[in-house]
Amino acid sequence: MPEVRIAAEPRTDFGKGPARRERRAGRVPAVLYGHGTDTRHLTLPGHDVMMALKTANVLIRLDGLPGGNQLVLPKSVQRNPIRGSVEHVDLILVRSGEKVTVDIPIQVTGEVYSGGLLDQQMVQISIEAEATHIPTGIEVNVEDMQVGTSVHAGDLELPSGSSLAVEPDALVLHVIAAPTAEQMEAEIGAPETAAAQAEPAPVPEGEAPADSAAADE
Amino acid sequence: MLIPRRVRYRKQHRPDRHGVAKGGTRVAFGEYGIQALEHAYVTNRQIESARIAMTRHIRRGGKVWITIYPDRPLTKKPAETRMGSGKGSPEWWVANVKPGRVMFELSGVAEPVAREALRRAMHKLPMKCKFVTREVGES
Repeated sequence: MPEVRIAAEPRTDFGKGPARRERRAGRVPAVLYGHGTDTRHLTLPGHDVMMALKTANVLIRLDGLPGGNQLVLPKSVQRNPIRGSVEHVDLILVRSGEKVTVDIPIQVTGEVYSGGLLDQQMVQISIEAEATHIPTGIEVNVEDMQVGTSVHAGDLELPSGSSLAVEPDALVLHVIAAPTAEQMEAEIGAPETAAAQAEPAPVPEGEAPADSAAADE
Repeated sequence: MLIPRRVRYRKQHRPDRHGVAKGGTRVAFGEYGIQALEHAYVTNRQIESARIAMTRHIRRGGKVWITIYPDRPLTKKPAETRMGSGKGSPEWWVANVKPGRVMFELSGVAEPVAREALRRAMHKLPMKCKFVTREVGES
């Protein structure tokens, strides 16, 4: 995976006021740590960070820091829950050739056997890989998989140089029988009035249902 | 219909309607979802109605997740009653939804089908919502 270069600036003002000022100016507050070094506070250009984070586990080279360039990986990203804009980034220092544990996406290709329904239990999987050679994802072909077939973590074809960081018998995906028309009808349920009549009144802890009804009146 | 089996207090204060969702803001289980853009109390009937609307549309295939739960009771006084004489009786069970919260998720269907199913479900909900998809590989 190619690395992305981002110009970082050290940050000296902390707290929500200065952080908000930075965001208004189009910059993102960030923090850098790892390898037993002291934590460093930075700001990064907002647009560059947003573009870089579109790639999973992007390798970033930070320029402009005292002490030279640093190779980092995003460890945690805080986003606005509605707009999705980046509000803060935690960066972890890595060295070239160092092994890191990262989550990579599982990409499913193909269509399962008609009548089957793909139940994907894992959308990402933890692997150990070299920091400078993190795979972009693992592909799983589900073409014509029959009902009852399952794929476990140990069955995945990992890219060379990487190893699993989860139990090999962890379930990744399996094919279950799609519900029949009758089951769908049953799931959609009885008419609203019948459902309302069947609705049980919740019982308060340590109180009998009859008492609670009497207390209401 | 979703309803708690056991509650500690039958009558509670009205839940707070400020702030944004702290968690559950990303699609976690399925491929597509409905995200709330406003605050609202979503009743168990609205949740059920939305679920039925999307299940009807997707027909066979597809899996639905409901990621909110109506665990807060709201009370109501009877009509034409003078004020006082204690709190009203529990009338609804609601989920206190804040902006950003993903409420329903869907997988196992093509995107156009999912969009239409979730659009139908959104019409059953009491707030503005948007269709969201899963973003893979983000920390």
